[in-house]
Amino acid sequence: MKSKKTALAQGFIRCHDCGCLSKQSDKNSHCRLCGGHLHRRLPNSFQRSAALLLSAFCLYIPANIFPIMTVTRLGVGEPHTIIGGIIALINGNMVPIAILVLVASILVPLLKLLGIGLLLLNVHYRWQVHAKKWTILYRIIAFVGRWSMLDIFMISILVSLVDMGSVAQVIAGPAATAFAAVVVLTMFAAKNFDPRLIWDNQR
Amino acid sequence: MNPTNLSACPECDLLLKPSSPVVGDKAHCPRCGYLLQRPRKQSVERTFALSIAGLILMFPANLMPLVGIKMLGGAKDGTLWSGVVALFEEHLWGVSALVFLSSILFPLLNIILSLLISAHLYFNRPNRHLAHWMRWLQHMDEWAMLEVYMLGIIVACVKLSSTSELKFGFGLYAFVALLIITGMLASSLDKVLFWRQIGQLRT
Repeated sequence: MKSKKTALAQGFIRCHDCGCLSKQSDKNSHCRLCGGHLHRRLPNSFQRSAALLLSAFCLYIPANIFPIMTVTRLGVGEPHTIIGGIIALINGNMVPIAILVLVASILVPLLKLLGIGLLLLNVHYRWQVHAKKWTILYRIIAFVGRWSMLDIFMISILVSLVDMGSVAQVIAGPAATAFAAVVVLTMFAAKNFDPRLIWDNQR
Repeated sequence: MNPTNLSACPECDLLLKPSSPVVGDKAHCPRCGYLLQRPRKQSVERTFALSIAGLILMFPANLMPLVGIKMLGGAKDGTLWSGVVALFEEHLWGVSALVFLSSILFPLLNIILSLLISAHLYFNRPNRHLAHWMRWLQHMDEWAMLEVYMLGIIVACVKLSSTSELKFGFGLYAFVALLIITGMLASSLDKVLFWRQIGQLRT
């Protein structure tokens, strides 16, 4: 009953870009308003999203194990991992900022990895769920994604500012690349996920 | 049924009769709650004006120093560009490119595209590239991360404040102003209205 109300069930395809509806029977595969490709749903949404998510999972491990930056003071180098940086902030009595970094660089990536994983499982096994709540989960994931870049930007500022030779220097570590890749891959995974698939599976 | 009189929700594909909400109202999808449209007063005019202001502010925000530090006799200024260069010199090409794209190139393109589109709509000039520009603008939206960069500046400053003397440059004020302008720009640009006008210009 529910599925009858969708545009697709009535024979219309919505353009992903401009929102213009086209008849499904039209031979034309391009939107008549903006010229974009017409697809019933995002093409290969599940496969693309899952592939990107798996790569992000793999890179999440080096991102947390390896040092994200090395702080050198008077010749003594001190490597920091992401968690190490947060602990250093707590020890320096900067708890609010420590919480901010904890949320942006640990909780948000974890939420994204697990959340997209759950959304994909939901779509693959056609769980009968409260679809509205799952759509809200999708929206939260899509919204928070970019905020994990906080750590990367902070490192880019520290690296450029603290560069006094042997006196004091900040050098970015290998985890920075891995972490940046996790952020970008999960953003793409969220972008490739089509929330309409959740609704399509509900009976 | 004529598809031009109907629309569909982008997140649950519910077939909808297009509502025409007045300024100050919001149109939500009745099934999934997606915010379909939020009309703004003089959307085209405001977008036009704000993108000009944003374009002007891009120059001081990018060229003038954001933050400077003094540490053990040495002094250094940081700009948006110097962060990119510092990462590049440490051979983190991927991270450096990502920081360049999300803090310099995409915000700039975002403003230029908004300016081009709103100028064409304001002066009623048809252009065959309008739909392409609008599509690019929509895809680029989430990759311009000035507000996340601002948070990165704050965290970096807090981290440095205990060991060195900080001074805020004029570029930082321009950057904050740019941040406010791009925020207003995003909320004044009514995508549904823009697409409708682009369609009308073409016919």
